[in-house]
Amino acid sequence: MEEEKGTTGSINLSLNGREEKINLSGQVHHLPCCIKFNGPCNVSQYFKPKLKGMEIDGLAVEEAHFRGRKLQGTTISLPNGYAGFVLVKNNSGKRKAYDVSEGNSNDWEMKAKFDKLTYWNHDTPPSKDDPFLRSFHWFTVAEALHKQVKAEDLATINAALT
Amino acid sequence: MGSETSLPKWASTPCIMGIDEAGRGPVLGPMVYGCLYCARSYQKTLATLNFADSKTLKEEKREELFENLKADESIGWSVDVIDPRELSAKMLKKNKVNLNEISHDSAIGLINRVLNMGILLTEVYLDTVGDADKYRIKLSERFPSIKFVVAKKADSLYPVVSGASIVAKVTRDRALREWVLEETSENMHGSFGSGYPGDPETKAWLAHHKHSVFGFPTLVRFSWGTCTSYYKDMVEVLWESDKVDEDVGYGSSGKQLKLSNVGFGKAAKRKIEEIESSGKGRCKFFHSRKLEQLTHF
Repeated sequence: MEEEKGTTGSINLSLNGREEKINLSGQVHHLPCCIKFNGPCNVSQYFKPKLKGMEIDGLAVEEAHFRGRKLQGTTISLPNGYAGFVLVKNNSGKRKAYDVSEGNSNDWEMKAKFDKLTYWNHDTPPSKDDPFLRSFHWFTVAEALHKQVKAEDLATINAALT
Repeated sequence: MGSETSLPKWASTPCIMGIDEAGRGPVLGPMVYGCLYCARSYQKTLATLNFADSKTLKEEKREELFENLKADESIGWSVDVIDPRELSAKMLKKNKVNLNEISHDSAIGLINRVLNMGILLTEVYLDTVGDADKYRIKLSERFPSIKFVVAKKADSLYPVVSGASIVAKVTRDRALREWVLEETSENMHGSFGSGYPGDPETKAWLAHHKHSVFGFPTLVRFSWGTCTSYYKDMVEVLWESDKVDEDVGYGSSGKQLKLSNVGFGKAAKRKIEEIESSGKGRCKFFHSRKLEQLTHF
């Protein structure tokens, strides 16, 4: 059997005491487009979300404009037990020579964290049917899948099957 | 905005109305639709008030005429100010609305507003937007009790339309003069000139206010062809709604943004996958939640 291809790497979520923890809650926006740019930008000077004063499915609707498009979105809290991180590829650390040569250095470092984010739709108001919100359903499924199975659980199942 | 206070006596006699627009061509600022109405019996007096096509008048003269008509109790007026954000958003929607449709809707909105006030409109005069006949038929079907006259250069042919053009033009000029930029970046200023794409002051303002990520302040109509020449210096932004290159009919003055101008087109299909995960090829649970499996990032 062929082994699945993939890369291994590490994600360092500790701060090593070097920097203050940066909390980006309320400043993370998920846009319905791809901006081909990575880097700092004066977002708050140009991007001005406004509360519309109405709710859909219990979500407070916000409105903003980006590149002429009207965006409607909502700010959500990440589910309990989950957090959002801004990761940066770690280039300063000690890397093994073969990692570099094969281009698969995969060490990441946490630069900031957030527990809230605002996601935006183009034209359509936010609702609980948005794929973004529905993707959180996976957390419940994942929890069930990865839960430790106790011996007595197995026994009950076996009993039921025979 | 307008003169919709208590209803004058003449309102229940047959009335005529003119509708005209200001700021259809400019690349920035609001587009304003204005209307002016009066009793049909007042038509002759109206012709003596020196209303002319607002474009042929000096700004001070327009302002003076506007003040006069506001004070005239035999005349009513109203305006519809369409924010540049709304123009951009509609023209860049997933289902794009072109400028002619926006214009038609605005004129229809004004007619409804005046009718709802209780004015007995019997004749309405307008400048043509798109095909004159089609426009007339569209309006007549919606308002069967009104006779519509749709004509080229209506603003210089009919005093009631000239009056409406003054209402619209003065409102747009004032709106632009008092415009407060939403953006709070330093080094911004309000000397945007007339807003017409050919105006050197407007060009200089656009060049000075362009931003590599955000494009322009929201005063600018992003859907205007004029903007595309600046886009090549900016960060590329890909939208799902740009998948299909629609050939929409656009207004004579402002070209609607076409995707081929922005450098999409051929590569669009591939690029769309960069915009969002699809969950394609996975079971329905993942597909409908757009959850993709990621082996590395």
